Amino acid sequence: MGGFAKNDLAEKRGYSYRLTRRQFLVATSAAALAACGPGAVTPGGSPSATQGKALKIGQLLPFTGVYAELGNSMRRATELYLKQNDNKLAGRRAEPVYEDDANVTATGLQKAQKLIDQDQVDVLLGVVPTPLAYGLRNVVHNAKMIFIDTNAGGNFLTRDIPNCTPACKSPYVFRVSFSSYQISYPIGDYVSAKGTKEFFLAYANYGFGTESAADFTSGLKKNGGSTTGNVAPPLGNSDFAPFVTQIKNQPTKNVYSFFSGADAIGFIRSWNQLGLPAAGYKMYGAGFLTEQDVLKEVKDLANGAITSLFWAVELDNPENKKFVADFQKQYPLLPDVFAVQAYDGMRALDEALKKVGGDTSDKGKLSKALEDVTFKSPRGDFAFDKTTHNPIQDIYIREVKTQGGQTVNTILDKIAKVTDPGK
Amino acid sequence: MSLELGFQQALNGLSFGALLFILAAGLSLVFGMMDVVNLAHGAFYMLGAYVALTVVQSTGSFWLALLVAPAALGLLGLVLEPLLLRRLRGRHLDQVLLTIGVALVIADQIGLVWGREVRSLPFPPGLDGSVSLIGGVYPVYRLFVIAFGVALAGAMAAIYRRTKLGMLIRAGVEDAEMLAALGVNTDRLFAVTFAVGAALAGLAGVVAAPVFGMQPGMDVDGLLYSLIVVVVGGLGTLGGAVAGSVLVGPADTFGKVLFQEFALAVIFAIVALVLLFRPTGLLGRIRIAR
Amino acid sequence: MRLAAIAAIAGGLVTFPYWSAAWESSRFATTVLRDMLVFAVFALSLDLLVGHAGMPSLGHAAFFGAGAYAAGIAGQRLGTDQLAVTLGAAALVAAVLALVIGALVVRSEGIFFLMLTLALAQIVFAIAFQWTSVTGGSNGLSGVGRPTLGGLEFNAPERMYVLVAVVFLAVAGFLWILTRSAYGRALVGVRENERRMRALGYDTTRLKLSAFVVAGALAGIAGALSAYSLRFVSAQDVGIGNSVQAFVMVLIGGAGTLVGPVVGAGVVLYIQRVLSSAIPVSETVLGLVFVAFVLLARQGIVGVGRAAWARVRSR
Repeated sequence: MGGFAKNDLAEKRGYSYRLTRRQFLVATSAAALAACGPGAVTPGGSPSATQGKALKIGQLLPFTGVYAELGNSMRRATELYLKQNDNKLAGRRAEPVYEDDANVTATGLQKAQKLIDQDQVDVLLGVVPTPLAYGLRNVVHNAKMIFIDTNAGGNFLTRDIPNCTPACKSPYVFRVSFSSYQISYPIGDYVSAKGTKEFFLAYANYGFGTESAADFTSGLKKNGGSTTGNVAPPLGNSDFAPFVTQIKNQPTKNVYSFFSGADAIGFIRSWNQLGLPAAGYKMYGAGFLTEQDVLKEVKDLANGAITSLFWAVELDNPENKKFVADFQKQYPLLPDVFAVQAYDGMRALDEALKKVGGDTSDKGKLSKALEDVTFKSPRGDFAFDKTTHNPIQDIYIREVKTQGGQTVNTILDKIAKVTDPGK
Repeated sequence: MSLELGFQQALNGLSFGALLFILAAGLSLVFGMMDVVNLAHGAFYMLGAYVALTVVQSTGSFWLALLVAPAALGLLGLVLEPLLLRRLRGRHLDQVLLTIGVALVIADQIGLVWGREVRSLPFPPGLDGSVSLIGGVYPVYRLFVIAFGVALAGAMAAIYRRTKLGMLIRAGVEDAEMLAALGVNTDRLFAVTFAVGAALAGLAGVVAAPVFGMQPGMDVDGLLYSLIVVVVGGLGTLGGAVAGSVLVGPADTFGKVLFQEFALAVIFAIVALVLLFRPTGLLGRIRIAR
Repeated sequence: MRLAAIAAIAGGLVTFPYWSAAWESSRFATTVLRDMLVFAVFALSLDLLVGHAGMPSLGHAAFFGAGAYAAGIAGQRLGTDQLAVTLGAAALVAAVLALVIGALVVRSEGIFFLMLTLALAQIVFAIAFQWTSVTGGSNGLSGVGRPTLGGLEFNAPERMYVLVAVVFLAVAGFLWILTRSAYGRALVGVRENERRMRALGYDTTRLKLSAFVVAGALAGIAGALSAYSLRFVSAQDVGIGNSVQAFVMVLIGGAGTLVGPVVGAGVVLYIQRVLSSAIPVSETVLGLVFVAFVLLARQGIVGVGRAAWARVRSR
């Protein structure tokens, strides 16, 4: 909301064109503030109370379009972190500047440019879709802008890639979420080591789905496992019955799937409607298949599904218990994995800023400081891999169970300190 | 593809097609009668599904939702037509922009009222099970959708043939101006037509909700599919909507699983193929350009 | 007099980043204006079909996207950043695609034309989305280089802007001449009454096809400018959203005029990229804007402006 605060110099120049535009924006901003209601507005501290220039944190998230709910959740977590820290990061007043990418890559890229050029943010956080993160990579790299990816999980963003196509690691790019590899390879390795060697694949047919399927397969192969075939519905497919029918008409009972959100719900409901559990089929997947947004709708239909992720709302550690409780106190909702990512993004930034005394002017120094950040996250121990800037994190193998009327991801096992191979 | 598998996929395709028919029938009616391409049709469909969600959550009755949602959408149509569309008669590009605008407003307001999370509707009691069919079990609800689609087509055919309204509609599809010349109150007729079209979209939303769930973006999917069915079948006639949905449903189903890598394009390839060989759709008649 | 005024405006437009350099918002304004001009070229190209030839295409993004990919891929595969090569490739690939699609669609009319263009464009989208080895697929095509002309580089933001502005002026000028030529008048004749034009001895199919190809090539140029500007091509560039957006720009601004699509592009991008930072521009706001335009401004913004001007002059 504070995106259009201007410095005094601009005020004094008073170009007539700028003045009218300013007046217009002030008026519309006031209307917007009234429309936003509680929760959406940054409770910025009074300027006189804090010393020095505010730390501007660009947050590029989707607030309209199909990923709006992810953006809202990440924004809630960001606001929560700021509130818990009196709107200060490393003692410096922090001012988030939110921009809506509307889930359009071109819009997102231009909004990022706006955050950099116009708002002159000190750091940039956010980004839900992988293509936007890839498009942004060169922008932030050339501008030497520290960018902390709080969701997009495409493998290339933190890897050593010849020609840097479609993306590659950068000293200025960090990721606090995950890479596709981290949520797919370990479970392939795990299940095949336990003796389940043959799998059929079902995945949404786009970059993320194909990456996940490939990484799972290489995890399987490590222990002599293999895949017997696949179905790959297009992203945003509406009718899953045809694909589940295909699965049911092939003999491999163990199915690894990569779907999330609406796709996951459609897949799981069709899976049950067509009687796959009774026919002995068993569902495995990357964790987004059974996150809360999905479980809340499919409930016990997902029972028995085994998935892997770096977090679960039920995770039993003090940091997570506190995070979940605090989040629920602030909002009448359970936090989701996207909230954890956004919260950890703020935490990582905060910890790094403490090491450099809140000074963001030397980006090289800030980057080094970020590399050394470690803290206890709701997900467990958090650290960056210094070569890739991807997190080193524990991956949990979870099973969906309904207990006491609640359908939850129970933790079966933990694979400690998973790092992305980086190439 | 084995015979059993083929049979099961044919059922999948037919139930999808039946759903498409319910969805497309209203769009086709409005187009045939009023010469309006209503791009808000998908938003009406979406709204129907969310109204059903509220009705089911508060009363627990799917069947009540099946009445309430179309009624609510019908009322909305009855208000929107005289308020916005009436003054745009014959101005096709303006109708396009206006109905896109209406669609955006409705879809966004749905997000504000119901939230933007993915939602789903439970299968109605009694239809939530499965039955044994050739080659395995099949969901009862999907069979119900097929039956419902067939029944709706039958009912609409009866109305077209046997009632005065049906006569007016058939006459209107042929030549709406002639109707006006004959002293029929076309303003009222068009408002009713638009309301019925919206109600049918709402009905489709209710029937589809247990299968497809509800999420942002479903309005665009619904609109695209209904446009495709109407264009493939031939504009403005009941027979066209039936033919279009019977072709598109199974073709989309088989196409997606047989040509997986091309799944995104299958449905559009069907449109292109049909229109290239039958430029006015399967059952479309050549009309003099208006 | 009028020519001098146009030249002054054009000069001001091209040199915007330089004379606005002292403004605090100059850099931001430059990128916004750059993107407005890119979309103005795109909207102008679509208007040749919608406003002049009476062909309401809902698949125009296919050519925008084809141009964007062609410019990006040509630059990377041929290892050159020469403007003539990459922009030429963009125009050529888009024109060839428009020839193929156009040959299939020009005989249909009205909603069939609308749906056929939409369907064929969605097939192009599916190819762009799935052909990962060439287009980058859903990940997009990143690392598109900014062009050079001879030894002149357009890497700096101001220069990139100047390139876009110059191309925009060239396209606008080209269309101004084209629509006022005998060819342009024949197109309008086809829109108004195709049978009569045929009776008068015009090969209307060829006329429409040629317009489709020209519009496609210009859209391809817009796509190339977008690829240079963002250094990235997204599969969304080919998608239905982009087609609808261009369509809306033309209608809001006013179809069949030179200024209309440009104004429409400006208004839509202003709402999307600038206003949305100050207020949460929801789809509701956008939708209400569309409805208001249809009900209150029948001929688009340009139509309203003209009516107001006529009223002022008649006093």
